[in-house]
Amino acid sequence: MTRVLAVLVYLFLYAPLLVLVAFSFNSGRLASSWDGITFAWYARALADERLQASLRNSLLVALATTAIATAIGTAAAMGLRARRGGRAGWDAFLALPILVPEVVVGASLVLLFAAAGLRLGMTTVVLAHVGFSISYATLVVAARAATLDPALADAATDLGASPLRAFFHVSLPALAPGILAAALLVFALSIDDYVVTSFVAGVGATTLPVHIYSMVKSGVSPAINAVSTLLLAATTLLLVAAWALERGARIRAAAVPAILGLAILAAPFAASKPAASTDRVLNVYIWSNYIAPETIRKFEQRHRVRVNLDLYDTNEAMLAKVQSGNVDYDVLCPSNYAIQSLVAQGLLRPLDRSALPHFANVDPAFLGRDHDPANRFSVPYFWGTTGIAYRRSKVGTVDSWAALWDPRHRGRVLMLDDTREAFGAALKRMGRSLNTTDPAVLALAQEMLLAQKPLVRAYNSSNFEDVLLSGDVWLAQGWNGQFARAIEQDPDIAYVIPKEGSSLFLDSLVIPAKAPHPELAHAFIDFTLEAEVAAEIAATMRYSTTNAAATALLPLALRANPAIFPPADALARTELIEDVGDATPLYDRLWTEVKSR
Amino acid sequence: MRRSRGLALLLPAVVALTVLFVLPQILMFEVSLGRRSAHGGVVHEWSGANYVRAAEPLYAQIFGRSLVLALATTLICLAVGYPMAYWLARRVPRRWRGALLVLVILPFWTSFLVRMYAWMFILRRDGVLNAALSAIGLPGLDLLYTDAGVLLGQVYGELPFMILPLYVSLERLDQTVLDAAADLGASPAAVFRRVVLPMTAPGALAGSLLVFVPSLGAYLAPDLLGGARTAYIGNLVQTQFAVARDIPFGAALSFVLLLLVAATLVLARRPLPGASSAGGQQ
Repeated sequence: MTRVLAVLVYLFLYAPLLVLVAFSFNSGRLASSWDGITFAWYARALADERLQASLRNSLLVALATTAIATAIGTAAAMGLRARRGGRAGWDAFLALPILVPEVVVGASLVLLFAAAGLRLGMTTVVLAHVGFSISYATLVVAARAATLDPALADAATDLGASPLRAFFHVSLPALAPGILAAALLVFALSIDDYVVTSFVAGVGATTLPVHIYSMVKSGVSPAINAVSTLLLAATTLLLVAAWALERGARIRAAAVPAILGLAILAAPFAASKPAASTDRVLNVYIWSNYIAPETIRKFEQRHRVRVNLDLYDTNEAMLAKVQSGNVDYDVLCPSNYAIQSLVAQGLLRPLDRSALPHFANVDPAFLGRDHDPANRFSVPYFWGTTGIAYRRSKVGTVDSWAALWDPRHRGRVLMLDDTREAFGAALKRMGRSLNTTDPAVLALAQEMLLAQKPLVRAYNSSNFEDVLLSGDVWLAQGWNGQFARAIEQDPDIAYVIPKEGSSLFLDSLVIPAKAPHPELAHAFIDFTLEAEVAAEIAATMRYSTTNAAATALLPLALRANPAIFPPADALARTELIEDVGDATPLYDRLWTEVKSR
Repeated sequence: MRRSRGLALLLPAVVALTVLFVLPQILMFEVSLGRRSAHGGVVHEWSGANYVRAAEPLYAQIFGRSLVLALATTLICLAVGYPMAYWLARRVPRRWRGALLVLVILPFWTSFLVRMYAWMFILRRDGVLNAALSAIGLPGLDLLYTDAGVLLGQVYGELPFMILPLYVSLERLDQTVLDAAADLGASPAAVFRRVVLPMTAPGALAGSLLVFVPSLGAYLAPDLLGGARTAYIGNLVQTQFAVARDIPFGAALSFVLLLLVAATLVLARRPLPGASSAGGQQ
């Protein structure tokens, strides 16, 4: 009977891996159907420079962490052993970090690095990983050391060996399997860590898990399956080699799987570009789904630079990172209200208009707005609307926010995971301004959002259109560009700006006050202002361009698409989200309460 | 001489852990006494306000929910992991044991995130599970973005940490002791209940701690499989730091979480997993 259970357990453990491997060869994009075998996702994964860069970063971090933590851990294990009696206190101290939740580790390290004035980057990631792996390394080596006979080393010293000599010739060889096991464990912990890394990774230190997280968040791509299959193959080969060695196989027999496994892991280093082009870097922090990798590549080639691209889903997440003060971004893409907040804190750098010859391409309708009256700090990039996309076959025609509160749609509603947008929907439904600072009105809006929560399936502001496409929800609040792309894939989906009105967003490119590469930042902004480039960005991302010269270059089908360029009467109902100043903490707190309930 | 050498060898670890672990917790505690500024900075004016807020029913209930998740994960892992470890350690022929144990660990060499993503792929409405169910004529299940989905992901992530320490303690069981019990007239059930269970209890406890504690701070499973809909304490802490910009409140929540972990360890009356359980993690 236990055998049946064991088979089920193995099935449970391997089901996700089998699915990954199988679907890495599926030519269809979604999991619902098998559309034939393809190697295209492997080709795409192998051609994805960002993916390879993140794998390189992960391997570098894991190797550095393994070397440092294993050395420190081995020394500590030997130290514990030398102390023999009375080591319970030391054991406790050395093991305690294992039991601290990762979120707490990450959050507290951010505070440490900020207090120490360390810029977030590869160094901080390695420090953090060393911090959480020392304990594991120590415990594993100590477990092996416990099986050793201490008389051996004593005998060596009695026979005249120096303590160092006794260590290298007697204790170390005997400890070797424990040290190897510790190193493997530390390597595995480091290369797989997402939670701690996500707190402490700065610009250019995107590790593989951080990259995969943003891939998962910004849309389902079977390229992830291909990468995972390759990694799985590499680790399986290495484990087979280790296992063969342990069973006493000859080195040559273990060499084949070991070399094959290492070759897969080394591939991203072989594919790395010549160092000359990596001398100059530009750090861009922009919304997910706002610029295509191909567009970035064009800029990289023209200016012979490397662009580090980090993505965010909400203004608040971007503000939190930028305000922390120890990240070095060159270009940001805040919405108008976030620009107001950044300007108020003195965090933006005035633009040098002479370095932006294509500024004249911007549609004057988007210049001189309240958030930056003379456009001293910002250049408009995209504008768009927030609305509802829905499955016509499931919910009929929708024209009001009330549909998102309709009990018939229980469990089929998606809301943006965004403070101001979620409150915006509730406030508009109440017929209020979405910039209200009246605590009584906000309390009512919060009650509405709480009443809505049982109907909500997910809060998501990154790949909300995928959740609608996959059929998990029927109605989704979201931004028009991504919905425009979804509608092209599935004509059953429609987009509407509710009759009560909605929010309008105007997102602009800005340069932080402390940007390390302001000249390149200007060059990048000017690049996006060129008519052809702006048209390409708008055509690939489907958001509405603020570039008048680019609009003329867009295909007619896009210009006539009401989801992308809404009719004037719908636009008349929209309202720009403004900075609410001192009411910001109230909004943040009320939203936290909604999400917590 | 020996004692001082021991200290010298311990020094790098002590320094590293003091700087990278103890110091950050002290900073965290200091920040948790402050308050946020309008734009989200930290104002270092000390008060206990954040702890008072953390005790509000709203947040207390999130701590409760995380405790329930951790407890449920631990119990399921124990219920599944014990027979599994028993089978591995005492039923499988010795020559297959190593390979089958490696098979339990192997999935953990793929990124946890990737495996969570694979579950999203399986559980979504048009996913593999529902395709399989409809193929055999059963109605589809909505598991993605539900609490059941979160529990499934958490069990999946933690199961091997239960199996390994149990395997170690079950494998160490001396067969002659079991034979002696049987010879003295104990039924197989009695042998199991009165000999095997008590002797493997330390392994079960170590495994339970290794599952319970990380589950208390679970972050990725609720985020990806839960659709960010139901808040668990790990997500609440992350949100305060990364989105709501209320770092002092986030720090206070972290600190309370840390205290909960400490309380768990005290309750387990075995402050730390000893070398035996740690060895089982290899």
